[in-house]
Amino acid sequence: MTEAEVIKLTNEVFIDSFEIEQSKLIPQANIFNDLGLDSLDIVDLVVALQKKFGVTIRDDERVRTIRTLGDLQNFILTIKKEIQK
Amino acid sequence: MRLLKIAFLNFFFYSFFFIFSLTAFINLGILIVFLIPVLPARRIFKLLRQAIRWYGKVIIKILPFPFVRLDHRNLGEHNPPGPYIFVCNHRSASDPFLMAVFPYEIVQVVNIWPFRLPALGFIARMAGYLSVRQMPYEEFAAKSAALINQGVSLAAFPEGTRSRDRSVGQFHSAVFRTAIETQAPIIPVCITGNESIPPIGSGILHPGVIKIRQLPAITKETYRDFSPYKLKNYVRAIIAQEVKLMDQANEKL
Repeated sequence: MTEAEVIKLTNEVFIDSFEIEQSKLIPQANIFNDLGLDSLDIVDLVVALQKKFGVTIRDDERVRTIRTLGDLQNFILTIKKEIQK
Repeated sequence: MRLLKIAFLNFFFYSFFFIFSLTAFINLGILIVFLIPVLPARRIFKLLRQAIRWYGKVIIKILPFPFVRLDHRNLGEHNPPGPYIFVCNHRSASDPFLMAVFPYEIVQVVNIWPFRLPALGFIARMAGYLSVRQMPYEEFAAKSAALINQGVSLAAFPEGTRSRDRSVGQFHSAVFRTAIETQAPIIPVCITGNESIPPIGSGILHPGVIKIRQLPAITKETYRDFSPYKLKNYVRAIIAQEVKLMDQANEKL
């Protein structure tokens, strides 16, 4: 899976699950302060991401360090690469 | 002249606040001890929440008068019957006391610090107030839904912390999940004018007019198909818009 595909699919999750406008989905956007998700929304986000990408990230400690949309996209990309190896 | 007013306000308010609070807590404690063996728990909770409302009314309407005045307007006179979920913006430590203006049995959804207050925190705990950060979400969901089903309204400040710049911060979704679960009407509440009653980081009260606008209820017919995220942002936008108008009106005065 390419970086562009990961970005596209991640953005689709935000648009489909949270109805966030595409224009707000920039890599620098802080998931909490700019996009307005809280800890409970993050649970919904993780479920939607797992479904979209077919991965298990719920118990991954690295999830806790994610702050921006760019962080999240990089994390998904890393996970997909790890699975491919 | 203004400094003199501030001195008078704080001297009289805090003198009577401590005397009144001490008297109220002692009498309430004695009353509860005598009522526990003879009344069911539900009735005692109801009485305790009623007593908190009276206490709050004295604290916000009588003790700081005439230096601090309340201007409360209900703009939702045709609301469906309750219980309701009151959702308020949060600028001041006086906000929880302002919930006394609503004539309902209310449980507040609070952050950790109100439970740590001497006496007040104990009474809040006794009255079944929900400290949302001190319990797993599943426990909060079960308790808040049970309260609504008992006919008890909830009051929440979903920003979670006081605003430092008059903007309405991002909302936490817990209470909106309760609304979706129970289909209770949500009443947006906009509060302005108490930014310095008292200011953040200080206990000094300043004279002023606290304005409370109780907006029309948002009913299940409106939010039936909303996700918690969409609902919290929908309510936040309504509150932010009204607060902005209230601030603009306050500046013109």
